[in-house]
Amino acid sequence: MNWLVRTFSCSVAKKQFMAVTGLAFCLFLTSHLIGNLFVYGGKDAFNAYVEHLHALGVLIHIAEAGLIVFALIHIGTALILYFQNLAARPVRYKKKSNAGGRTLASATMPYTGLFILVFIVVHLVSMKFADHSTLSTFDVTAGVFAKPAYLAFYIVSMVVVAFHVNHGFWSAFQSFGASHPKYMPIVRGFGILFSLIVGAGFGLIPIAFNMIS
Amino acid sequence: MQLNSNVPSGPLEGKWDRYKFDLKKVNPANKRKFEVIVVGTGLAGGSAAATMADLGYHVKNFCIQDTPRRAHSIAAQGGINAAKNYPGDGDSVYNLFYDTIKGGDYRAREANVYRLAQNANAIIDHCVATGVPFAREYGGLHANRSFGGAQVSRTFYARGQTGQQLLLGVYGQLSRQIGLGGVEMYARRDILDIVIVDGCARGVICRNLVTGEIERHSAHAVVLATGGYDNVYFLSTSGMHSNVSACWAAYKKGAAFANPCYTQIHPTCITVHGDYQSKLTLMSESLRNDGRIWVPKKAGDNRSPEQIPENERDYYLERKYPSFGNLVPRDVASRNAKMACDEGRGVGNTGLAVYLDFTEAIQRDGEDVIRAKYGNLFQMYDKIQDEDPYKVPMKIYPAIHYVMGGTWVDYNLMTTRNGLFCLGGANFSDHGANRLGASALMQGLSDGYFVLPYTIGGYLATQSLTDVDTSHQAFKDSETQLNEKLNKLMNINGKRTVDDIHKELGHYMWEYCGMARNDAGLKEGIQKISALREEFWQNVNVTGSSKDFNQTLEKGYRLADYLEFGELLARDALTREESCGGHFREESQTEENEAKRDDENFCHVAAWEYAGEGKTPILNKEPLVFESVKLTQRSYK
Amino acid sequence: MEEKFINLTLKVWRQKLGEKKGKIETYQAKNISTDASFLEMLDIVNDDLTIKGIEPIAFDHDCREGICGMCGQVVNGYAHGEEKGTTLCQLHMRRFKDGDTVFVEPFRAKAFKVVKDLVVDRSAFDKIIQAGGYITAKAGGAPDANNLPVTYETCELAMNGAECIGCGACVAACPNASAMLFVGAKISHLALLPQGRPEAAKRALAMVRTMDSCGFGNCSNERECEASCPKNIEITNIARLNREFLSAGVCSTAM
Repeated sequence: MNWLVRTFSCSVAKKQFMAVTGLAFCLFLTSHLIGNLFVYGGKDAFNAYVEHLHALGVLIHIAEAGLIVFALIHIGTALILYFQNLAARPVRYKKKSNAGGRTLASATMPYTGLFILVFIVVHLVSMKFADHSTLSTFDVTAGVFAKPAYLAFYIVSMVVVAFHVNHGFWSAFQSFGASHPKYMPIVRGFGILFSLIVGAGFGLIPIAFNMIS
Repeated sequence: MQLNSNVPSGPLEGKWDRYKFDLKKVNPANKRKFEVIVVGTGLAGGSAAATMADLGYHVKNFCIQDTPRRAHSIAAQGGINAAKNYPGDGDSVYNLFYDTIKGGDYRAREANVYRLAQNANAIIDHCVATGVPFAREYGGLHANRSFGGAQVSRTFYARGQTGQQLLLGVYGQLSRQIGLGGVEMYARRDILDIVIVDGCARGVICRNLVTGEIERHSAHAVVLATGGYDNVYFLSTSGMHSNVSACWAAYKKGAAFANPCYTQIHPTCITVHGDYQSKLTLMSESLRNDGRIWVPKKAGDNRSPEQIPENERDYYLERKYPSFGNLVPRDVASRNAKMACDEGRGVGNTGLAVYLDFTEAIQRDGEDVIRAKYGNLFQMYDKIQDEDPYKVPMKIYPAIHYVMGGTWVDYNLMTTRNGLFCLGGANFSDHGANRLGASALMQGLSDGYFVLPYTIGGYLATQSLTDVDTSHQAFKDSETQLNEKLNKLMNINGKRTVDDIHKELGHYMWEYCGMARNDAGLKEGIQKISALREEFWQNVNVTGSSKDFNQTLEKGYRLADYLEFGELLARDALTREESCGGHFREESQTEENEAKRDDENFCHVAAWEYAGEGKTPILNKEPLVFESVKLTQRSYK
Repeated sequence: MEEKFINLTLKVWRQKLGEKKGKIETYQAKNISTDASFLEMLDIVNDDLTIKGIEPIAFDHDCREGICGMCGQVVNGYAHGEEKGTTLCQLHMRRFKDGDTVFVEPFRAKAFKVVKDLVVDRSAFDKIIQAGGYITAKAGGAPDANNLPVTYETCELAMNGAECIGCGACVAACPNASAMLFVGAKISHLALLPQGRPEAAKRALAMVRTMDSCGFGNCSNERECEASCPKNIEITNIARLNREFLSAGVCSTAM
């Protein structure tokens, strides 16, 4: 089994862990966004969707466990990469310029990632682990979104997510070596589109909540 | 000094095969007991080191750069010849042999050149097997192009970076052996002396260029593959580190130096600009496949090229040499460029340039085709000259590019010193008085992959070499002498920089010993070089410490050797009172200003023997015997 | 463009042999022809320093025609200077303006130790190649060169990777000091050719492992390497390396 450790501890394998978990989160974002769109059907439609989701029972727990495992891998690997990369250049340049490859999104990946982690914690505490005994999920959510500070934090977070996804999406394909002169431009285009959809899609949800309630 | 070429007897075609059979061999288990020092990691040195290690010898390989992948073979652009006859234009081994020996103006050893032509096809096969991506046709088979001095297409190429690709192939093989432990690699080392024990070369003294430490290394044989001495001219197309020092040290230890006056002036180089210039850049000969060379018919015509109508242009190579046209050999093309400029028909600011024009080829084939063939060369030209060669004809002028002369070797590639071998561009053997394009790469790889690994076995198998280690007195003496020389250099503290003196030497070399040479000029040149050498030892300024990474000191001791060597070069040119190939004596030319050989008096190799400090070197002659080809006046008309 | 003469202020990294620290020194480059190359400008500055009794600036260089890969400095924050697809020796002073201040620093990475001034030790690249950047073939046993056809397009792609000059600009430019473009170029070159296939899996694993052990950073697809490469080598080569690694690690029998 030595080969397993040797192979999976390599830099390239770490990138591929980031890629597979990252793409999984993209799938999660997609399904989460589709679910959230029920808000546009009104309070009842949204609560019905939530109930339907909870009715999945053990399946939902498996999915949650999967997300936690993936998150641990993604975050753990990112931390290793971050510190290794930092150590790879112990003396920095006095003057360093951008040669044209870097984008705002690519340069800020560790920081947007950290921001997203903070957001997820806040998001889970304020929504998922809030007291659902008296209020419906819709009301809990609407209550949170009614606070201007949280609203602003949420919208900013969604912009940050969009940036993270913008670089992460095509990057995952690149890390798997799925680069082809015919299809890579499509992947890159779709990555940009997807990040816009995620950013705008989620970003508009609190506004919808506020309007409906 | 006895010059025994050791060329085997019998018919030309069978000499090498018979010789290989006759050579004593070292059995595989015994090869491990032999250590061989190889100096240089270019095509010749790198391939020799890798191949010998693969056979089982323990090899210590030295190079001057930070890694073996940077030897100057890397800069060869155009291609490598072979007689594969893939294009089906009637090529053969004999044809390649004949073109090469004729191209060399019948001043090379027949048997060596034939062996080179015989090895050429195996070189291509081996290179392809090691991953060299030679250009392919759409059908997947190899493409060939034409080069100067041949009427067949036999040149294999990888864009305009053939030398790079071949060297990276060699570097791969060498790296594999380093990884396996067969080769011990010593990078950033200058070989400054050869150590002789009981008449045999048994080691080297080198300077570690990082720490400045002087190191001793012993072995059973020493192989020099250190390239050419072009930088004696200061401005040349050679790498900045190219030097004659190891061969010069060998010369002083009994390895005769042959034909130093055979220098090659390449016709298509980017023109010289300011005096701060450090280096000349070649534009590959392959460009002459599609580019047409011309100057205005009228002297002093300074209109821009597009304003000069077709009938006022002189495509002088096509006019004078209709059967070879722009693809005449390098020496002929260079001399004609010089003549055109001497007549006042040169172009550009300095009047020292001719046009190399691609207009017609671009119209015929389209810009994309030309870009695919020569893109990197055009880009390089644009970067240096700040002019787009797709739109404006290139301005080119001849420059020192290669030297055919070098350390004398016999058929085994062994010098006149036992156990000391010399390969590739550093030896004199295969190109006579002029090298054809795409032949240097062929020679380097032939020597390293397919000749030395056999012949060195023949040497080692027949010697009874005692064990010698680096504590031997000969190593101590050598190191002491070297330290004295370095200390002397460090303590002059004069007023002129090394480069300043080197530029002056280069100026004398080009002026008196350049494209055209004559008796009076050479004599004057020798005096000036000698006076400059005196000045160097009194007025040079080498800063820093010798026990440090000190690039000024490196340049300093290399120049010290060039100042001695330059004189030998001029002396050889003075003694050879004939014109042949790249050596053009104004006293010896035909009515049409072509080089005129004197086969009666000069059909020999001039091998110079060191006679001691301050003494005139001794000239030894190896007569050149031609059994297969008939000597004719070269004609490319 | 007409030749002009310009003056520059250089901020050059100076570091003594064997010392871990260095500092920026300021020098004036006077009366520099715009037709001179960047290295020729340094030659002039060095001659000037020598005359003044100051030790010249050490820098690596050899062919000065953009192919040997020996030169390389970070000029104003750009590996090999700002001009695209250019080695430092081919960067000409016409790219600078009179009065410019120019920062000149060595390539910086943990894997590339500074030897002196602007000279760095890039032997880590050699170690990576020694681990597998070759095709095993004995001299003399090869079949005819035309035995294995290679399509024109494949050969061109292989050549695109093979053009790498091993200068290390990719590492210098990478925010993470990663060597993936260098390794990707070599792996691509050999993996694309049929001659290189037999050892492809072993090669991919060995080269990546050696790269990691040399202390290079990890690729985060920032594409600074591609933007700085003097030979315009593309990150598609990194993708190919990733693919080769994945199939070698998961599908092949190579350990």
